[in-house]
Amino acid sequence: MIFIHLLTIQGGAIKRASLEVLARGRALADALNNNGQEVELHTVVCSPEVADWDEAKWAAELGAYGVDRVWSATDESFKEHNNQALLAAVQTAHAQATDQAAKPSLVAMASTEGVKDILGALSARLGASVVADVSEFGVVAEGDGLHLTAIRPVMASKAQTQVQTTAKHVMVSVRSGSYGILEEARGQEGGTPNHEPIKIELIKIEQGDSKLQTQIREIITAAADIIDLNEAETIVAAGRGVKDETAKALIAELAQCLNAGIGASRALTEAGIYDPSVQIGQTGKVVAPQLYIAVGISGAIQHVAGITNTKVIVAVNKDADAPIFEVANYGIVGDLYEVLPAFIAEIKRLKG
Amino acid sequence: MVPDVSAPMQIKNGELIMDADRAVLNAYDASGVEEALVLKEADGGAVIVVSVGPAKAAETLRKALAMGADSAVHITTEGVEGAGEFDSDSYAKILAAYYGEQEYDTLFFGKQSQDTDAGLTGSMVAELLGIPYVSNAVGITREADGRFLVKRQGDSGQEIVDAGTGCLITCSNDMNEPRIPKLKGIMASKKKPLEVLTLSDLGVNAADVQPKTQITAYVEIPARQAGQKFSEGAAEDAGRVAELLEQNDLLS
Ligand SMILES: Cc1cc2nc3c(=O)[nH]c(=O)nc-3n(C[C@H](O)[C@H](O)[C@H](O)COP(=O)(O)OP(=O)(O)OC[C@H]3O[C@@H](n4cnc5c(N)ncnc54)[C@H](O)[C@@H]3O)c2cc1C
Ligand SMILES: Nc1ncnc2c1ncn2[C@@H]1O[C@H](COP(=O)(O)O)[C@@H](O)[C@H]1O
Repeated sequence: MIFIHLLTIQGGAIKRASLEVLARGRALADALNNNGQEVELHTVVCSPEVADWDEAKWAAELGAYGVDRVWSATDESFKEHNNQALLAAVQTAHAQATDQAAKPSLVAMASTEGVKDILGALSARLGASVVADVSEFGVVAEGDGLHLTAIRPVMASKAQTQVQTTAKHVMVSVRSGSYGILEEARGQEGGTPNHEPIKIELIKIEQGDSKLQTQIREIITAAADIIDLNEAETIVAAGRGVKDETAKALIAELAQCLNAGIGASRALTEAGIYDPSVQIGQTGKVVAPQLYIAVGISGAIQHVAGITNTKVIVAVNKDADAPIFEVANYGIVGDLYEVLPAFIAEIKRLKG
Repeated sequence: MVPDVSAPMQIKNGELIMDADRAVLNAYDASGVEEALVLKEADGGAVIVVSVGPAKAAETLRKALAMGADSAVHITTEGVEGAGEFDSDSYAKILAAYYGEQEYDTLFFGKQSQDTDAGLTGSMVAELLGIPYVSNAVGITREADGRFLVKRQGDSGQEIVDAGTGCLITCSNDMNEPRIPKLKGIMASKKKPLEVLTLSDLGVNAADVQPKTQITAYVEIPARQAGQKFSEGAAEDAGRVAELLEQNDLLS
């Protein structure tokens, strides 16, 4: 069986969410290999940012995950998100990795916006069965294919379903925070011992049918210094209670002293007060930090759907009956204009 | 059509039981309808709404007609084997069979269903039809030559994408505020055409659209317990919570 992961790269580095999926792939492969099955771990990269990475660099980045092969499509067309180019690249890599689909495969990706954009189309193209946005998954061989089981939240994260599918080719996208990254992979130079060197295969993508192409005219990027919410250990999130510049400054100060990412409820991204890319919830990002501090957020189910995997939730809200208190580990009933300055001062004091 | 996710629900023996069996228009689809109506008001044309589902799906189509859509197509799955378990793949094949025979300037889908959050059907249909697509749209405009310019929310920013025409666009509810039907619209919707088609009308065999994925059980999400609540005054509460965070090693 071939485990194929489409690597998410941003700013020249591999995203944490991607490493989480690879860690899960390594664990699955080890379990299956111990069972006498052969599993190869492959990654596909579609990014000009890594065009000059050599074998040593790949080994340093991915060695601890026991990656066997990197399929590299480092074409300029991947500078911008382009769904048809991505589909073509993954399809090409998949065909070569699986020996023209002869070997069964599990294609696993991190559930980013870029992946959400191609997941359905890719499953149709590969004739694969797909389960989107899972929080857990496992796989065993069955017949000449694979049996995939997964757990995924539904009903705005009020329930979850156990899902299964049996097919030659199966696919999942995985919520960030579902699996830990391999600790030893952090900052380690070189691959794990007894691991064969990673093979790097360059793949050329056929630009395919031009009538399918869409073209990016312009990109409106969020400020570059925004901390990625999927990577942040701590998130400070603002809701409608954060009404003016004073409150915004308090949010920024709290985030800064905790080295936290700043998120927002839909009420504030809609109002243009925070960038739409930091919206948290059912329509926005699903996050799983260690600490989530919700300030002036009521706790609508669609918002809470995005934070259920958080370790500790702190809520600051002046309404003692706000639903956010039902999911908060620590709730402070009070006006944010009074609570935040005291909170910031206390945190600064404790941190010395 | 989706069940109302804000309605009370329970899980019993691995099954999901909705206290009220209420179906609503998927919020993301409502945004699609709204956007289509705005474009129609500007450029003319017709807005046709399509739903695949049991008899109840007709109610949500009426809602879209009441908003202002011109006509509706209900592809009924009443009595179709396995229809209760259809997945995105099943619906995508049925919708592709239908749209394959239609003419359109663009197809609007929701970016995801509110109940399952799958987000698969749109790009599956585009792939099956072989047409360009843009997902997660937060704004749509039309050029003088008819091309659709779509603003989509990507991972780290917004992309303005030229999708041409004959494309498929999946809509975020961040795009607009769907209008609430007025009494006049509701009255008018009753007279608007609603065509009912069966799978065989589309030349689709039920056997070919059986779901590829199965839900084996619904399970509770380990509920978060409400923790400690502090209301002794800002300074004292903030101090207590900061201390608790420090003890839990969370003040990195
Ligand atoms: C299909 C769908 C998808 C959605 N997706 C999302 C999503 O992804 N993310 C999301 O966030 N929402 C989403 N929503 C919207 C969601 O339902 C809520 O409307 C939204 O989350 C409300 O944001 P809020 O809590 O900031 O505002 P409100 O609900 O208005 O709450 C503001 C809170 O601030 C408190 N407050 C006010 N002033 C102060 C003060 N001075 N000090 C302390 N507290 C104060 C108030 O007591 C109140 O509880 C979605 C809705 C739908 C239908
Ligand atoms: N049965 C259906 N009838 C019509 N449209 C559907 C159906 N199922 C899914 N869709 C469309 O596909 C979108 C996303 O579906 P999903 O893959 O379920 O998240 C929805 O918002 C609808 O626009």
